[in-house]
Amino acid sequence: MKLNIDGLLVWFPYDFIYPEQFSYMLELKRTLDAKGHGVLEMPSGTGKTISLLSLIVAYQRAFPLEVTKLIYCSRTVPEIEKVVEELRRLMEFYAKETGESNNFLSLALSSRKNLCIHPEVSSLRFGKEVDGKCHSLTASYVRAQRHSNPNLPTCRFYEEFDAVGRQVPLPAGIYNLDDLKDFGRRKGWCPYYLARYAILHANIVVYSYHYLLDPKIADLVSKELAKNSVVVFDEAHNIDNVCIDSMSVNITRRTLDRCQTNVDTLQNTIQKIKETDAAKLKAEYRRLVEGLKEANVARETDVYLANPVLPDEILREAVPGTIRTAEHFVGFLRRFLEYLKSRLRVHHVVQESAPQFLKDIFDKVCIDRKPLRFCAERLQSLLRTLEIADIADFSSVTLISNFATLVSTYSQGFTLIIEPFEDRTPTIANPVLHFSCMDPSIAIKPVFQRFQSVIITSGTLSPLDVYPKILDFRPVTMASFTMTLARTCLCPLIVGRGNDQVALSSKFETREDFAVIRNYGNLLLEMSAVVPDGIVAFFTSYVYMENIVASWYEQGILENIQRNKLIFIETPDAAETSMALEKYQEACENGRGAILLSVARGKVSEGIDFVHHFGRAVIMFGVPYVYTQSRILKARLEYLRDQFQIRENDFLTFDAMRHAAQCVGRAIRGKTDYGLMIFADKRYARADKRGKLPRWIQEHISDGSLNLTVDESVQRSKHFLRQMAQPFRQEDQLGLSLLTLEQLQSEETLKRIAQIAHQT
Amino acid sequence: MDEEPERAKRWEGGYERTWEVLKEDESGSLRASVEEILYQAKRKRVMETHGQVRLGMMRHLYVVIDCSRSMEDQDLKPNRLSSTLKLMEAFVDEYFYQNPISQVIKPVCFCETGNPKKHVAALRKAVDTVCAGEPSLYNALSLAVHTLKHMPGHTSREVLIVLSSLTTCDPSNIYELIKTLKSLKVRVSVIGLSAEVRVCTVLTRETGGFYHVILDESHFKELLMLHVKPPPASASSECSLIRMGFPQHCVASLSDQDAKPSFSMSQLDGDSPGLSLSGYFCPQCHAKYTELPVECKVCGLTLVSAPHLARSFHHLFPLQAFTESPVEQHTDRSCQGCQGRLKDRSVFSCPSCFSSFCMDCDLFIHDSLHCCPCCIHGPSVS
Repeated sequence: MKLNIDGLLVWFPYDFIYPEQFSYMLELKRTLDAKGHGVLEMPSGTGKTISLLSLIVAYQRAFPLEVTKLIYCSRTVPEIEKVVEELRRLMEFYAKETGESNNFLSLALSSRKNLCIHPEVSSLRFGKEVDGKCHSLTASYVRAQRHSNPNLPTCRFYEEFDAVGRQVPLPAGIYNLDDLKDFGRRKGWCPYYLARYAILHANIVVYSYHYLLDPKIADLVSKELAKNSVVVFDEAHNIDNVCIDSMSVNITRRTLDRCQTNVDTLQNTIQKIKETDAAKLKAEYRRLVEGLKEANVARETDVYLANPVLPDEILREAVPGTIRTAEHFVGFLRRFLEYLKSRLRVHHVVQESAPQFLKDIFDKVCIDRKPLRFCAERLQSLLRTLEIADIADFSSVTLISNFATLVSTYSQGFTLIIEPFEDRTPTIANPVLHFSCMDPSIAIKPVFQRFQSVIITSGTLSPLDVYPKILDFRPVTMASFTMTLARTCLCPLIVGRGNDQVALSSKFETREDFAVIRNYGNLLLEMSAVVPDGIVAFFTSYVYMENIVASWYEQGILENIQRNKLIFIETPDAAETSMALEKYQEACENGRGAILLSVARGKVSEGIDFVHHFGRAVIMFGVPYVYTQSRILKARLEYLRDQFQIRENDFLTFDAMRHAAQCVGRAIRGKTDYGLMIFADKRYARADKRGKLPRWIQEHISDGSLNLTVDESVQRSKHFLRQMAQPFRQEDQLGLSLLTLEQLQSEETLKRIAQIAHQT
Repeated sequence: MDEEPERAKRWEGGYERTWEVLKEDESGSLRASVEEILYQAKRKRVMETHGQVRLGMMRHLYVVIDCSRSMEDQDLKPNRLSSTLKLMEAFVDEYFYQNPISQVIKPVCFCETGNPKKHVAALRKAVDTVCAGEPSLYNALSLAVHTLKHMPGHTSREVLIVLSSLTTCDPSNIYELIKTLKSLKVRVSVIGLSAEVRVCTVLTRETGGFYHVILDESHFKELLMLHVKPPPASASSECSLIRMGFPQHCVASLSDQDAKPSFSMSQLDGDSPGLSLSGYFCPQCHAKYTELPVECKVCGLTLVSAPHLARSFHHLFPLQAFTESPVEQHTDRSCQGCQGRLKDRSVFSCPSCFSSFCMDCDLFIHDSLHCCPCCIHGPSVS
């Protein structure tokens, strides 16, 4: 249908629209008009993706000069594929309605592992192997060598692409990963490089967060994207952690050992080259004198794990003399390595800032700040000169040099922690050096600065004002939308007490309490008898889950539960978990019923949807606070308090509640879906916790559903499930939570829509 | 109709929090919206059943009652099993009243006759059953298939499952069985006592049956009664002429010297033996039966009485659906059926005599009377 969004003509590829979608598009339009950033929260299953796509595409068509490109960032490959399919639908609708084929080019981009069509390379299992193998076939010097020795292996797809692919642009259309591969096979071009080249002139790019946020990759892939693009981060509730992870480095004893081998190899290679081809090293030296800028102009295929954000002015400087010759540099690395080893030999925990570390390293081994800063660049240059084909082996030394550059570049926002052993096993020495980023805004800052509009959106972003604070940007719109419902299809219950009035809580003091564990077991048992098909239960951590399950086993609760449903458990092992998930779904499908015990913050809580019968109830045992004794977290909390005036407790609660919301949100994936959300901890009833849940959950928590006992909640669930099992058709939704075009135009509806957006 | 008083009696309802139900009513949220949907569903049922469709009048209905652990749950008073069996009795009576030439087979009793008394007796006996163990949809269905497989093609094959449990422990993949059921054209309907179970949704959707979940006893009764009406016959079912016998009831007076007391053939099933003088004699083989309708044990002829056929007759010429119109259009604000005031939003009027009825009377006329009282009354007036 055709919509009029604040004066903009938007084609919407469905006959019906949810009121909140309309409202969402209005807000989005305002954000784009203001050329600013936005934070928008809308529940999952209400068609966020299609609203975003249809509005932005319409905007691009209406104002082709203001918005040239949409960059849609998603988390996983299946999600990327889903977005592309929605987009395809939209474009088909355009073609059908307007009768003209438009010249939009949209494509998905993923790693080599997902895009490679080379018969040998694509059969490798790990992403790193594929990258390494690909590199050994396509690096510029490998290809240069081939001129003299044609027997060397080659990748004909890359050669073909390099020969003609760049002259002929990719024809307009929608390409998901498989389409790209098909196209590549037909033409004989490498789909990966084709896609990387094509995103420069594509109208819509769909790819993973990391291509923008991880400075090592962003530098390669997203460097040349136009400034007047719109960037969308979907499912962005964890964006701060992605930013932090992309900037942090962990170094263990093993890394250092491998690094040692790397350095030895480097030394040997240098020796060899010196005997055969001394001129090459000299040439490199000259280049370095001229400055890094030129060194940086390398072919796009010479991909080492590139440097972390280096300020531009450094690139223009010349590499300092101490590390300019290859031997000196290797010696320098050796020294640095020895120093790190000596640091890891400590017996107590050390925490220091970057300047402290630099001072210490200067005092002990006389390493200056400046050469450290150039370490990453210098290593790249060396690896290129030595023509090392397989870069996968050199990941350790690359990591160390990245660390060197990071530690000497940023004096703020990072902390260095050396732990001689893990907290749980204080007797086993396992020293780890964490160089951890505490300020997510460092990684995302270039994105906010460069692009005119950045939209952060997810189903759970509450409380909205935290994100602008921790990511350090100023949004023009912040809005939270609720789900309009024809029937109340979600039923949040806060269970605070057992039948014996023992307070249920996962807080540290009562963690081992027998009565609490028994009551939790009782809750699960009772629920398994009244909830059909699938139940997903979340615990706060693996350790906690193990304790509780072991205790339930001893008390015979598990046996009783198994009479009603089968039990599956998530483990840290990915293969085991996916097996458990598969069997869980099978058990739900054929009526046996199943319970999945999993962990908040685990794989299941983040990426797996439990639609309809796969998740009729979600039980959240306890409040999923992050492990507060971790030193990295403590450092981060301190930093947040000092820099952003966010109190520790506020941040911890915020973090716990967003994960709890993520977990319970797994059950409701649309308006025809229904599910129970059971918060089993009395602390959820407090206003500070409850107030941090997303609005679409909060508004269904009445005062009567706070602090229930197990029995009460069972009664309520029974009642709710019977109500929901009554036949429910699309006509029942029409006019209330589903609108036709005519209904949309009525005064009354528009008034109602205005209330959906909740400005903050 | 009398839902309200029944609900008020539930003082033992434990944690049901009646005050909250009231609150929800007021704000027009949960309960109100669901009830609105239910009202629409009721209406739809009336509308749907009155198309010009061929109905399968000879039915074979296989009733399965879940007797697993969960039947002991006390959310239906006194417990689910007793409540179900009580309603089932009413259902069986109603079923035979409306479908006298059909059969009910129940896994609890396995009687092949179409005799309601036996079923009722069997149901009474079942009250004492101890509910234990896990239910298995697969076993119940395969049992049903084994019996229904041999039923003639012109009759309908139906299974009605009253399922209380939310889980089923199957010895084999149930989806294979669903395929078999589909190919044998067995319609499976399920009435759930607790919540919607996925496998039942698939089962009923695939085999063309209904799936309903009860809200309370009155709703349960309503749902059961839905199954009294014969379903539309599938186009592919064979048509055949059926031989039937209409035996006369012979009463011999005790004074008659020739009359000798004799046994009834139905005694072969193990019914209470008894010598009687009177009975129905099969016109083909002169076997004696005390009750109709029945299938002759000797020659296999279906024996019925004329009133039985007549009762099935209304399915062939159903009463037309009444037209719905908003209450404002009517000047006369009372229902022709119950003489009460028209309270609902809409009024239903008969298309031939234009008299108006309230929703409940409309349902009653279509469900029980099968003819419009005003139309019958009308000609004598004019």
